[in-house]
Amino acid sequence: MLELVAIILGGVVTFVTRALFLVSKKLRPPKRVEKYLPLVGPAVLGAIAIPGILAPRGELSVVDTIPAVIAAVVTWLVWKLTKQTALGLLAGLGLWWGILAVMAALGVQR
Amino acid sequence: MTAPDVPLTEDDRVRSARRAALRAAGVIVASYIPFGIAAGAAMGATSVDPLVSILSSPIIFAGAAQIAAVQLLHVGAALGVVVLTVAVINARHLLYSAALAPHLAEWTLGQRMGAAFLLADPVYALAAARFDAPGGGGGDREKRAFYVTAGLTCLVGWTALLAIGIVVGGFIPEWVPFELAIPLTFLLLTLPLIKNRAGLVAAAVAGIVALVAHGLPLGIGLMVGAVVGVAVGAIVLNLSERRVVDA
Repeated sequence: MLELVAIILGGVVTFVTRALFLVSKKLRPPKRVEKYLPLVGPAVLGAIAIPGILAPRGELSVVDTIPAVIAAVVTWLVWKLTKQTALGLLAGLGLWWGILAVMAALGVQR
Repeated sequence: MTAPDVPLTEDDRVRSARRAALRAAGVIVASYIPFGIAAGAAMGATSVDPLVSILSSPIIFAGAAQIAAVQLLHVGAALGVVVLTVAVINARHLLYSAALAPHLAEWTLGQRMGAAFLLADPVYALAAARFDAPGGGGGDREKRAFYVTAGLTCLVGWTALLAIGIVVGGFIPEWVPFELAIPLTFLLLTLPLIKNRAGLVAAAVAGIVALVAHGLPLGIGLMVGAVVGVAVGAIVLNLSERRVVDA
């Protein structure tokens, strides 16, 4: 029961963070700030994506970072050419698996 | 398919917005398969009631916070610690809320609250990419159709993946590496939102600062990175505007 209460309260605080600026039209970010709001998406999502690419297992290392960065660049190129999210993901993930397989075949320890 | 010379009615455009949302969110849900199942398996391995773990999806609807909450309950953390942790991990949603507010200005209070409930990371990313594009995602009905469909698709998909993970957890061989699936998905969510040099700088700086700060407790590093990224991006935006004025 306590577990469920904790989850529900977690849901409530999450909802508050998501609803705060949507509750009242008066509680809107000031006009002065509005032109910077399009930077929010790139910044928050970049802060999630980039550490995971540079350090896929939590630490920077040659054997982890380089294959992941190559996969990310290819993901970006494929997306840039096709604008297809699914293709970008498949290309990046597929290439990454390929690099890991080659590394394993060459006896490189991850 | 409608021939291009036949004018589309509003209903057509709403349907097409719904289809676009289903397609875009479907790709995201598919890319979450490994992470969702692994997260579910991790939750299933705790002492927390599996039903509570599954319910955390429709109640909190934010993966990292759900995993943290279930893990903390497992180790017997106090209620306040669990709730505070969720609040800190999800503080980034304040930024989404602020950024989305101008786009939802014409929606009713109930519609805005519904939108807030669905405002998870990928839902924000899909909505922002569409609403910031030329044309702004169409009229209000089209925007709502897109948003609600994308949000519900992600909510149902994520809950299902977690439930599958909780039930079948342990069957995935450990040697299959999947840790890059989520970062690449987030990269693909970020790219359409980068409209200029300031956006590129904001993303890059936020990512590098978040990596440097990732040792901070409760995943605050993400928020630190995001705030520094927005600040540096804002400086770049101001400088580039000044250059345009000077020229």
